[in-house]
Amino acid sequence: MNLTPESKVIIQGFSEFISATHVAQMKAYGTNIVAGVAPGRGGQEIYGLPVFDLVEEVAEKFGVIDTTIICVHPYQVLDAALEAIASDISQIIIISAGVPPLDMVQLLRKAEDYETLVVGPNSPGIIVPGKILLGTHPSEFYTPGSVGIVSRSSTLTYEVAWELTKAGLGQSISVSIGSDAIVGSSFLQWLQILDEDDTTEAIVLVGQPGGGSEETAARYIAEAIDKPVVAYIAGREAPPRNTWRQTGTLVTVVGRPPNFGTAQSKIAAFEAAEVPVAERPSLIPELLKKSINL
Amino acid sequence: MDLLEYQVKEWFGEIGIPVLPSQRIYHPTDLKRLKIHYPIVLKSQVHAGDRAKAGGVRIVETTIDAVAAAQNIFNLPIWGELPEVVLAESKYVASQEFYLAVVLDTAICRPILLGCQEPDVDWELAGEKMQYVVVEQEFSPFYARRLALKMGLQGALMQSVSGVLEKLYHLFLQKDLDLVEINPLAINHAGEVMALNGKVRVNQRAIGRHPEIASMAAKMVGHHGKNQINTRLGDWDSLAMQGKIGILGNGTGSMMATCDLVSSAGGKPGMCLNLRHASIIETAPTTFCDRLIKGLNILAADKSIQVILINLLGSIPEPEAAASAIVEFISQHQNEQTSSNLRTNGNKRELNSPHIVIRLAGSELNAAKNVLAPLETDAYRLIIVENLDEAVATAVNLVKPPAYQKVS
Repeated sequence: MNLTPESKVIIQGFSEFISATHVAQMKAYGTNIVAGVAPGRGGQEIYGLPVFDLVEEVAEKFGVIDTTIICVHPYQVLDAALEAIASDISQIIIISAGVPPLDMVQLLRKAEDYETLVVGPNSPGIIVPGKILLGTHPSEFYTPGSVGIVSRSSTLTYEVAWELTKAGLGQSISVSIGSDAIVGSSFLQWLQILDEDDTTEAIVLVGQPGGGSEETAARYIAEAIDKPVVAYIAGREAPPRNTWRQTGTLVTVVGRPPNFGTAQSKIAAFEAAEVPVAERPSLIPELLKKSINL
Repeated sequence: MDLLEYQVKEWFGEIGIPVLPSQRIYHPTDLKRLKIHYPIVLKSQVHAGDRAKAGGVRIVETTIDAVAAAQNIFNLPIWGELPEVVLAESKYVASQEFYLAVVLDTAICRPILLGCQEPDVDWELAGEKMQYVVVEQEFSPFYARRLALKMGLQGALMQSVSGVLEKLYHLFLQKDLDLVEINPLAINHAGEVMALNGKVRVNQRAIGRHPEIASMAAKMVGHHGKNQINTRLGDWDSLAMQGKIGILGNGTGSMMATCDLVSSAGGKPGMCLNLRHASIIETAPTTFCDRLIKGLNILAADKSIQVILINLLGSIPEPEAAASAIVEFISQHQNEQTSSNLRTNGNKRELNSPHIVIRLAGSELNAAKNVLAPLETDAYRLIIVENLDEAVATAVNLVKPPAYQKVS
């Protein structure tokens, strides 16, 4: 993990998912964005950044790049990420939403081989309040402090950060791992990072229906995390959806419980792990203050 | 999006998975020009399951019987769906039938091969009978052989079944599928394999890069008619609820959280839509504004919705344009209302445009706020709120109590 202001950052692609405001905000935050990469637009300047056609051209000029922020069209994400890996970039943040899942399967196989950290797709990235912003988190909702946030939803990440800020609780690191069906880094990886991070004293985990990553996280928290954790799960009222039917078919085959993927199953898992679950975002600070006081 | 059987079989045929000779029938009289030999099987081409039980599959020996059976099938709705096409197919004598599938397991982020020595698997008991193999790395045919052996197959049969699986996997990759299934895969006395029926679920996030699937999707929508909101909703990232408060959020989590909050504040959420993605039918690129306008129109078309709650936090692309879209939506609705009031001689009618509660928080949204603020009056039925809990409470309070029941 390189989350320092010295870390060299590039942006691959300029689409709906990133605006001049986002780039200006990152720069104002002290993020060292050295260039943008947009095939066919090499030599131009976009949002005040020098633009190159290839990632390797940037690496030639500036040396090894630490992080790339990918904002290309979802169908070009796989290619952009593979290009980044080929140029030895070890942290990839994918802002674009709606990447075809089979592309992600292919990317994850590659990233596992190269030990590349992939955050997203469909993620606003990572923010270390007061230090560095890698992505599109609206920084005005954040204040430096000691609560780590790891979330599967973009907007709920800011929602929680803002509730914390209003209650006088600053944040250490906030990351949304992305809300697409298949994403790179997992809750487990981030719980581990936050557990090892010295400034983090407590963690908020934000989940939603689908998959089983919250349940796995709950078991991991019970086994391996000593810092207090508070969870919030959106989607209690959500009726089971079409897209889950397919996972439902699998459920019986690979021996998963019938309520696999539901908010109820996730809440039950956190309760079993004795992790307090907030009923709504505005109640998170209260629960957090209680657990910190313990 | 699920394909119909005949579409699935066309794909099977193209990739070399054996399928029976068949012919599409659009009208019972088409059977008079049948090129395949009797006995044949007539199958209703609908998306619903349990077609055979409902009478959608008939075996016939003669043209007279076939025409009568086809007439019957064309008029038989299965789970509310009438077939546009009936498939006429040769009859096959099978000595054994299997189930084969490739499915994307999003929980482990890998495709899985599935196989069972029984065709109509009872999913409750599938755990005991179904075999599976996870395709951990790049696919290679040994994964298919591994599954065939796990299914208990040997020799030539193991080879031919794993050969079919291999093709099935290539189809899965080539067309960006969530699921492809052969059910049943029949084996005859000579040990030859034949896909008697199949199912394909296309991944909606990939449709845009497959022109042939995009045009199938467009036809499907045309077929279902443009006013069937449910069809459209099913293809959008949404929650179909029946309450009076429609929700638009910029993200799945945000949409779901808003829905939960409305519920716990004593309100009833209606349709909820996520504006971050386009509907699958929109294969052309869309902007946030396009999706917002479409979302507003879908919610407004639902007459049970009295309040539209829009939850926008942080940033959205082109906030000013989005706000202008909302302004235009409101003024359009006011015009409609005025003209309809005129038509009914000024009598008060139930046609009230919905209230709009918009939750805006974040400095980037100030531009949107500036555009919307002048409309924040009773006349325009627009309320801007910054705090989420407050926005939800406002929306819930705006819902009218149930209509007064007149005693006749």
